[in-house]
Amino acid sequence: MSRRPKSPPEAEADPFFVGWAPAAPVHRRTLLVSAGATLLAGAGVSAAIASQQAPVGPGGWDTQVRSWTGWLQRTPYPSLLIREDDGALRTAWLAGMGKQSVAPIIPEGLSGAVTVQGSLIARGPHRMIAGTGAPDWIAASPDAPPTPDPGYEEEIGAALIFGEVLDAKCWFGAMKPATGKTHKACAALCARGGLPLAFCDERSCGDALAAPLFLDADGRAHTADILPFVADPVAARGTLVRVRDTVQFRVAVSSLRRV
Amino acid sequence: MGHDYKAVQWSPFKRLYDAALALGVLSFIGVFVAASILASPVEAGGREAAAPIQLLIRATGAAGFGLLTLILAIGPLARLTRTAAPLLFNRRHLGVACFLIALAHGSLVTLWYHGFSDLNPLVSLLVSNPRYDSIRGFPFESLGLAALLILFVMAATSHDFWNATLGPRLWKSVHMAVYPAYALLLAHIFLGAIQNETSPLYPLLAGGAAALVAGLHLTAGLKENAIPRSVARTGEWIRVGPPHDIPDGRARIVTPPRGERIAVFRDGARIHAISNVCRHQGGPLGEGRIIDGCVTCPWHGFQYRPSDGCSPPPYSEKIATYRTRLVDGEIEVEPDPLPPGTPVDATTLPEGRR
Ligand code: HEM
Ligand code: FES
Repeated sequence: MSRRPKSPPEAEADPFFVGWAPAAPVHRRTLLVSAGATLLAGAGVSAAIASQQAPVGPGGWDTQVRSWTGWLQRTPYPSLLIREDDGALRTAWLAGMGKQSVAPIIPEGLSGAVTVQGSLIARGPHRMIAGTGAPDWIAASPDAPPTPDPGYEEEIGAALIFGEVLDAKCWFGAMKPATGKTHKACAALCARGGLPLAFCDERSCGDALAAPLFLDADGRAHTADILPFVADPVAARGTLVRVRDTVQFRVAVSSLRRV
Repeated sequence: MGHDYKAVQWSPFKRLYDAALALGVLSFIGVFVAASILASPVEAGGREAAAPIQLLIRATGAAGFGLLTLILAIGPLARLTRTAAPLLFNRRHLGVACFLIALAHGSLVTLWYHGFSDLNPLVSLLVSNPRYDSIRGFPFESLGLAALLILFVMAATSHDFWNATLGPRLWKSVHMAVYPAYALLLAHIFLGAIQNETSPLYPLLAGGAAALVAGLHLTAGLKENAIPRSVARTGEWIRVGPPHDIPDGRARIVTPPRGERIAVFRDGARIHAISNVCRHQGGPLGEGRIIDGCVTCPWHGFQYRPSDGCSPPPYSEKIATYRTRLVDGEIEVEPDPLPPGTPVDATTLPEGRR
């Protein structure tokens, strides 16, 4: 078919649009005006939805790998007790680069002071070190003094909290946002991989600075039984316990209710 | 049926269209990222912006849904006003762009939320939230995945080669799946992101988009149904009206008691009737014009000879033709279609009344 109409549509007063024929000025105008209006409207909608996002919290992951020296603890999750400049002991949980616990890659028999190669994930008072997982990522640090006294454990009291079981690594800063349904799949993988869990109060899951560690009624890490509840809105009845510089929320799976 | 198809025509106008599309998508995503960062000042204890990949996940999800809303709005808009015709003809590129943006969204989600673990990310996508029995807890990701698969099939078969190969009916039914895909996406958004957010803006925008699409379709449908169906009985001819009420080179559309609408064209002193339904994507030929002696579809410019309903060589599309006659100075058309491509003698208007 001829692509060169003898009577080009644009010659008419009320031109007829044909995709393959040269476009009349009025068609170009229609396109430009519609495109301009759509662009502006799109930018407006984009800016509006972007600025209305729920807060994601003040956590972050400084991916620079550094050496950390402290005393290795294996329960309830692997951690390092690090002596701060002011002499206080502070817990830094240990995780891997991905969504698995580092417990399987901490050499058996290793104890006491160790040096870890990893990067820092931090939120409020919380610290977590993502170990590189390289062959010598964790090694004994023979020159350090022996492990200090494990410290006190103090019961704060019984508590019923409406909130959400979190994976601590994401919530401390590996992911932003790290709560709720959109993050549930990721949290489930982390929980399945054995990473530390925490619990947030529903009123401040997004932007709270701190959240207690979430453990079973005896203060041990939860088993796979917890998986169906991760990242769902729940009511949790249990006990709050202070252990050295951390707070634990000890809840039996049977004391969790979906809300 | 011929398997040839109109080669995709590149024109400066189409390039302009595509440039506007690319600019629109990039600016939407750019504004989203910039506004997210600006709205979240980094200060001790204050809010911070989402992680860059998570910002991109959200920006691409929203851009894909917005683009699909636009695509679905243009169709009825073009039926309501001819002014929108220059927006319609390149919808294929909008559709393919929408699929690619949605693919980026789905891939980033799969990588970020389902990766970095020893479970296969694609398995994780389907099993990490098993609450298929709950509405509130429903794994909304699977709804997005289903929509993405539909968008893929549509993008993959969007070229006119597939329209010619599958035939217009099958092609059209495949592409009607865009509506279930849109519904799946609404569920994806309402059961996913909206459950995480507290601002009423999100349900308002998503609901508004759905209302816009539904409203435009309803209005266009009502407008088309406002053309009354002829009451002619079997064997009766349908009265069209005086020939000179039809502008030269244009048509009047009549609706027979059953079957497709008929486009009755006046080409100078000759009257022809052909099916109103374009062989390509069902465009309204009666809203087209005669250019170079051929009826030209207003949607993508397919052409048919009014005398036999055939596309001129080298093309081989055919549409139904109808017999016409002049009775007491009024045109009448026989409501029964002749097989596609059947030549019909034009009704010639008497001298002096041209
Ligand atoms: C494999 C397929 C898909 C998966 C796994 C998926 C997953 C997700 C996830 C996890 C979110 C929440 C993101 C967040 O808030 O951080 C989301 C949101 C969203 N998705 Fe999808 N999605 C898929 C396909 C699609 C498609 C095809 C579209 C539309 C073209 C789409 C549009 C949206 C929109 C508009 C949102 C809400 C706004 C946003 O967060 O971007 N999704 N999707
Ligand atoms: S519908 Fe595409 S040219 Fe007619």
